[in-house]
Amino acid sequence: MSGTRSLGGRRMRSDAGIAWLLTLPAILAYLAMILLPLLAVLALAFTDYEFGARGFRWIGLANFADMLSDRTFAASIRNTVVYCLFVAPLSIGIALALAVLIEAGARGRAFYRAVFFLPVVSLTVAMATAWQYLLHPSIGPVNALLRMVGAGTPNWLGSSDWVIVSLGFIGVWENVGFNLVLFLAGLTAIPRELYAASEIDGARSGWSKFWLVTWPMLGPTMLFVIIITMTRSIRVFDTVQTLTQGGPNNASEVLLRTIYQEGFHYFKFGYSAAITLVFLVIVLGLMLVQTRLIDRRVHYG
Amino acid sequence: MSGIVIEGVQKSFGVTTVLRGVSLAVAQGEFLSLVGPSGCGKTTLLRIIAGLEAVSAGAVRIAGRDVTALRAADRDVAMVFQNYALYPHLTVRQNIAVPLVMRRLKAAERIPVVGGLLPGVAAKRREISTDVVAAAQMLGVGALLERKPAQLSGGQRQRVALGRAIVRHPRAFLMDEPLSNLDAALRVTTRSEIVALHRRVGASTVYVTHDQSEAMTMSDRVAVMMDGLILQVGTPEEIYTNPQDIRVAAFIGSPSINTLAAEIGADGDVMVGGIASGLGASVRGPTTLAIRPENIMLADTGIAARIEHLEYLGESLLLHARVLASHELVICRLSPERRRQVARGETIHLRPDPSRAFLFDSEGRRLAAHARTRELAHG
Repeated sequence: MSGTRSLGGRRMRSDAGIAWLLTLPAILAYLAMILLPLLAVLALAFTDYEFGARGFRWIGLANFADMLSDRTFAASIRNTVVYCLFVAPLSIGIALALAVLIEAGARGRAFYRAVFFLPVVSLTVAMATAWQYLLHPSIGPVNALLRMVGAGTPNWLGSSDWVIVSLGFIGVWENVGFNLVLFLAGLTAIPRELYAASEIDGARSGWSKFWLVTWPMLGPTMLFVIIITMTRSIRVFDTVQTLTQGGPNNASEVLLRTIYQEGFHYFKFGYSAAITLVFLVIVLGLMLVQTRLIDRRVHYG
Repeated sequence: MSGIVIEGVQKSFGVTTVLRGVSLAVAQGEFLSLVGPSGCGKTTLLRIIAGLEAVSAGAVRIAGRDVTALRAADRDVAMVFQNYALYPHLTVRQNIAVPLVMRRLKAAERIPVVGGLLPGVAAKRREISTDVVAAAQMLGVGALLERKPAQLSGGQRQRVALGRAIVRHPRAFLMDEPLSNLDAALRVTTRSEIVALHRRVGASTVYVTHDQSEAMTMSDRVAVMMDGLILQVGTPEEIYTNPQDIRVAAFIGSPSINTLAAEIGADGDVMVGGIASGLGASVRGPTTLAIRPENIMLADTGIAARIEHLEYLGESLLLHARVLASHELVICRLSPERRRQVARGETIHLRPDPSRAFLFDSEGRRLAAHARTRELAHG
């Protein structure tokens, strides 16, 4: 009896051992790739470490105090918020409208999907050159068109009044295709019978069917699209870096570029880490608020 | 002219023809079942009546009004779908209210919060609420009004779907296999509940099913459909005891009707395997004799067959036998006491009751036939 029991015990122990062994690669990868860098950033944020320096001092919250009086940082927070509030609603609204139209259309679904998805798969840095030309104040086609109709010709990327709007338009252009594909997937998952039922129930217009069936059934997709678009637009970097380098006069300075500048340009790793921490807190906070607020009103399944 | 009238309806999807000229009249307040195997076009016909599909040719009239060109929302019909098609994000109360809200409130009045401020909306909302509660109570879901469909059992969802259909007193009631997603026990009880509900509501009802027992037990009349045509319309009794097409005879009844190749002799005797069946006909040539399992007797003489299998069902005994001459399989329903008198492998003699046998030509059409008194006297 005792023999079999110990055998069973040994097997149980070895089962647990195998389980640990099998999850080890994932655990190691998680530790090395995510947890350790995060902890390093967390630690660095409270130091005055600069790249190449012999040592560093723990300076407590001094980095965060510096941020409060840093005009570049203030501009980058403000611009990032404006950019997000511009890009997210527009790219979500346009994508939803296009998705509903494409879904209702008899043909060309694959064609439209491919056309609108192109900006997502194209390289932003390469496309930025095209935008640079399109928006050029004197030789750009956009202003040429505006001149023809006799409207004003702003310096799209060069004036501090317009630069964040111009970058926002490029952001919308980048995000619409991505959101469109997500919405199209969400739309095809809605049971056809619900539309038949709504028709029988007296929903005559496409508008009332949209509010009775499409909109609520897209809830889970909408939640996902909002979160993904917000995080994508908070992380805006490549268009800014290639087109304006944050200028003119910090008018297009955004969070990610500030982190990059402080860390890789001025080598102020400690300060850069502190801003990264703020950035992470903002992203996490946004996601938490969104899931809490919207999840309650979203119907799954 | 009330009720539902369908005239020469044809429907094709591209090159596939689903309905090839269907005509049908459902009287005011009648419960009619459309029954047939899957793919026979019964659901398409129902969707055409509902206005969810357009006809390729033909006309549909509901309560004397030509609705062929009208869309579903304007036809004043209600439909219960196979998987209920409840709005998953709305509560039971809201689900049942949808048809009333859509019809009684204008688009602007339906807008949440703002719409409620328009004059008269509050009163309309109160009326809707009263009607919803009445419908829910009639169906026994009054206690579930605040639940979402996901929190309901299959049977409860079914009742909510019925409630959404009856709440606005439609001119016609359409049901598309509403019981097929319920378990067997619930299906039988819900069957009689739907019939009782129909009697109370009194609207013309078209009920689509592939289940012949549902069609037979629930309907005033049954329409048997196959390959896009209605083969026969009649009361359940007519369909069972007087089928006009061999496919109707074969589809209705369980176990299925027996079919035996038959020849008609020179003197008009219908011969099965060279033996007179006791049936007489005035035509010549190859035919099929069809006889239900309960209408075959065992006798000392008759069609010789070997018993292959016995199924004891308690209230009856099903005897599967292979006809020696033609190798056709015949099933007889015997009284259960016969169990000890028959055994597998034995040779027996079968004698169809000629007054209950049907004769069909090679196209499957019913032929006139009569029992020969001479043969009966000998038997």
